Amino acid sequence: MDALAGFGQGIWIALQPLNLAVMVVGVLVGVIAGALPGISFVNAMAIALPFTYFMSPLLAMLFLGGIYVGGVFGGSISSLLVNIPGDPDSLPSCWDGYPITQREGPERSLSIAITASAVGGLFSALLLSFASPPFAKFALSFDQPEFFAATFLGLVSVLAIAKGNLLMSLVSLFTGIVLGSIGTDPLYGVSRLTFGVPILDNGIDFVVVMIGIFAIGEVLDALAARQAAGFAPKHKARMRVLRPRELWALRGSVARGTGIGSVIGIIPGAGAAVGALVAYGIERQVNPRRREFGTGVADGLAAPEASKNATTGTALIPLLTLGIPGSAAAAIMLAALTLHGVQPGPLLYTKSPDMLYAIFASFTLANLFMIVISVLVARGFATLMRADPTIICAFILVFSLVGAFGVRNNIADVYICIAFGILGFYMKRFGFPTAPLVLGVILGPLAEGYFLTSMANYANDLTIFFTRPKSGVLMALAFGFILWALRPELGRLVQRLRR
Amino acid sequence: MMRITIARAVVMAAACISVVPLAAHAQGKFPSRPIDMIVNFGPGGGADQIGRAMAKIMEPILGVPVPVANVAGASGNAGLTKVLTSTPDGYTIGTMTGLTISAWASGLGKMQIPDFSYIAIGQSSPSMLFVPAASRFKDYKALLDEAKANPGKIRVATAGYGTLDDIAVKFLGTQGFPMVNVPFAKPGERYASPLGGHSEVLFEEPGDVVQFLESKQYRPLVVFAPKRHPSFPDTPASAEFGQHIDLPNWRGVVASAKVPAEALATLRAAAARALDSPEWKKLCAETYSCIDRMSPEQTLKFVVQNSADVTRFMKEYGMVK
Repeated sequence: MDALAGFGQGIWIALQPLNLAVMVVGVLVGVIAGALPGISFVNAMAIALPFTYFMSPLLAMLFLGGIYVGGVFGGSISSLLVNIPGDPDSLPSCWDGYPITQREGPERSLSIAITASAVGGLFSALLLSFASPPFAKFALSFDQPEFFAATFLGLVSVLAIAKGNLLMSLVSLFTGIVLGSIGTDPLYGVSRLTFGVPILDNGIDFVVVMIGIFAIGEVLDALAARQAAGFAPKHKARMRVLRPRELWALRGSVARGTGIGSVIGIIPGAGAAVGALVAYGIERQVNPRRREFGTGVADGLAAPEASKNATTGTALIPLLTLGIPGSAAAAIMLAALTLHGVQPGPLLYTKSPDMLYAIFASFTLANLFMIVISVLVARGFATLMRADPTIICAFILVFSLVGAFGVRNNIADVYICIAFGILGFYMKRFGFPTAPLVLGVILGPLAEGYFLTSMANYANDLTIFFTRPKSGVLMALAFGFILWALRPELGRLVQRLRR
Repeated sequence: MMRITIARAVVMAAACISVVPLAAHAQGKFPSRPIDMIVNFGPGGGADQIGRAMAKIMEPILGVPVPVANVAGASGNAGLTKVLTSTPDGYTIGTMTGLTISAWASGLGKMQIPDFSYIAIGQSSPSMLFVPAASRFKDYKALLDEAKANPGKIRVATAGYGTLDDIAVKFLGTQGFPMVNVPFAKPGERYASPLGGHSEVLFEEPGDVVQFLESKQYRPLVVFAPKRHPSFPDTPASAEFGQHIDLPNWRGVVASAKVPAEALATLRAAAARALDSPEWKKLCAETYSCIDRMSPEQTLKFVVQNSADVTRFMKEYGMVK
C-alpha cells in the first residue's frame, strides 16, 4: 500500500468513534499517571495491560500508545508546577522549567513545554509513519558499543548540570552508580554490595530512588520548613500552544531536541530519560545563552521537552518493523500484541497494513490530543495544588509509597524509597546535588551492561568504542563535554604552568 | 450493542449480589475468595504469558477471580519468595521456570525443589540455535565446520552467563567447536544483534522469536534435544551430530509445599482442565511448547531430572558458585 494513502486510511480508521475514544482515554490516563509523582507511565501501562485483553489488537495498541504518549509528557506537569519530576524523563525539565514557573508563572513554562513536546512527538510520529523501514535499518546498525557511547554521553551530560559545583556533582554521580550496581548483577547472577541483606538482592530500582529523593525528599523539606506557600503556584495554570513567533524564537533548541530524541528513541533501554538528559546537556554547550542555564532559560526547557517526546515514535519503529521491543513501554505493547496472536515485525506491512497504518495515524493524532488533554489536566492539577500544603504533602506521600510498591510489587522497595526520601531531604538541606545521584542509578547499570556485552562481542578490544564510526562520534562528543566542563580548571592549570 | 453490554452488566451485578451470601456461606470450601497468581518475571516474557493465560483459563474453572501480579527480580526468585512467604492456604500460586531452578543450581538463593508443590507444568520449549535469513551458515554443519576452523571467532548472542544458553555454548566448546558467548541483559537487544550483523548466531527458544520465524528474518539451525521437534521437522536435533544434550525450557505453576492437600488437589484438577482446554492448546502450539500432561508424581520427577541434568553440566563447567 502506498504510504500516504495508507496513512490517510489510517487516519480514517483512527477517527472512528470507538478508536478515537480509546486513544483519548489512553492519553488522559497517561497524562494523569505521568503527572502524579510516584506513578510512572510504564507503571500505568503495566496496570492497563490486563484491560487490553478484552480489546481488539488495534484498540489495545491505541490505548497503550495513548498512555505512552501522554505519560511521557505528563511528568513535566509536576516538574513545572511543584519541581517534583513525575517521571524520570521529566527531571531535566525541572532545571530550567521550574525557575521559569517561579519567575514568569506556570503559563509560560507549561506552554513552552507542551509546544516543544508536541513538536518533538509529532515529528517522531511522522518518522514512524513514513520512514520506519529505513529507520529500522539505521537502528540495526547500532550495536552495543554505540549504546554504551550514548549512555556514556548521558553520564557525562551530568557535568553540564554541575552549576559550578563539579566535585560535589561527581561525588553524587558516582554514589548513584555504586547504588545502581547493588543487587544481583544482570550478566553473571552474582550478588553485589548486598552485605547479605536479602531485600537488596533485587537491586535498587531507579524509579524507587527517584520517587524517594524527589517526591518524599521534597515533602519532608516542605514540612520541615513549614512553608505554606511551598507548592502553591501563585497564578492559575493556564496553558496554551505557543504562537508561531514564540516557537520560532525557540527553533534551534526544539530542532536539536527533536533530532537528538528521534535518534535516542531507537536505542533500547535508553528511552525518554536519556533523550531528555542528553538534549539538555548538548543545549547547554551550544546555546548562545548557555551561561544563564539553570536560571530559567526557555531553550533549556524546550530542548529536553522536545527530545523526550521525540523518543516515543521512533522507540516503536524497531517493535513494529522488526519485532524488537526497544523499551519497557514497547515490551508491554509487544505482550499486548502477542497475546492476541499478532506478531509484530515486517509481516505487519503485508498481513495487516490497515492496522499498522491505523496505529501510525493514531500515534500522530495522540500527540495533538495530548495538547488538549494536558491543558485540562494541568488546570486540574494546579487547582489541587492550591489546597493546604499539608494535605498535598500527605497525598504525594501516599502516591509515592504506592508508586514505589507498584514498580515491582515488592514491599522492600517501599522501605528503600523511604530511606532515599530521608537521604534526599538531607542532601537538599546541605546543598548536595541530588540529580546526578539519580542519573547515576539510572545510567550506571545500563552503561555496565552495554560495556560488558561490547567487550564480550569484540574480544575485549577497548578501542572498539572509538573505531566504530557512530560510537566514535558519540565518544568524541562526550570527551568534548568533559573538556568543556573542565575548561576553568584546565585554564588555571595552563596559567600555573606558564608561571 | 451498548444495550447488550448494559444488560450483561446488570446480569453480572445481579449474579455478584446473589453470589455474596453463597460465598459467605461456603467459608469452609476452597476456593472461596480470589487466588493470587504471582508471575515471577516482568510483564511481556514467557512466564508472564503462561501465568496470565493460566489465570484467565482457570478463573471460570475455579469460580473465583485469579488476579495476576508480576514480581520480577533475581532470576525469578523474588516472586517465588512471595509465594513461599504468603500464608500457605492455596490462595497464592506462582509461576515457576526451569531458568529459575538452574539459577538455584548455580548457587543463587536458598530455595530448593521440595519447598514447592508443583501444580502443573504447562510448557516445555526446546533450546535452539538460529541465524539470520541471509547468514552464510547454510546449515548446522556449516556452523560447526567454521567454529572448528576458527575457534572462538563465532559469536552467539545469549541471555547471559550461568544460563542454559551458557551451558550450550560451553558444551559445544568441549565438543571441539569453541564459540564466544555474548551475553545480553535484554531480549530485544539480543534479537537485534545477529540481525544487525553484530554477532552470528542466536540462542533462543522458538516461542520467544515467533515473530522473526514467521517473517523469515531468522531460520533455525539445530535443536538441542535427543530428537527433532515436531514443529521443525527439517531442523536436525543435536543428537544427530553426536551431541547428547537436552535443554528444555519448562514453565509451570507452583504453590508452597505447605499448602494443605485438599486445596492442592483442587488447584491441580483446575490446572489439568485448563491445560486440556482448546485455548491452552492453541497457545502452546503457537509457542512450540506443548508438553504431554503429567501426573503430580511425573511432574516432580521431571523437575528433579531436569535440575539434575542442569546441575551436572554446571558442575562440569565450573559454573556453580
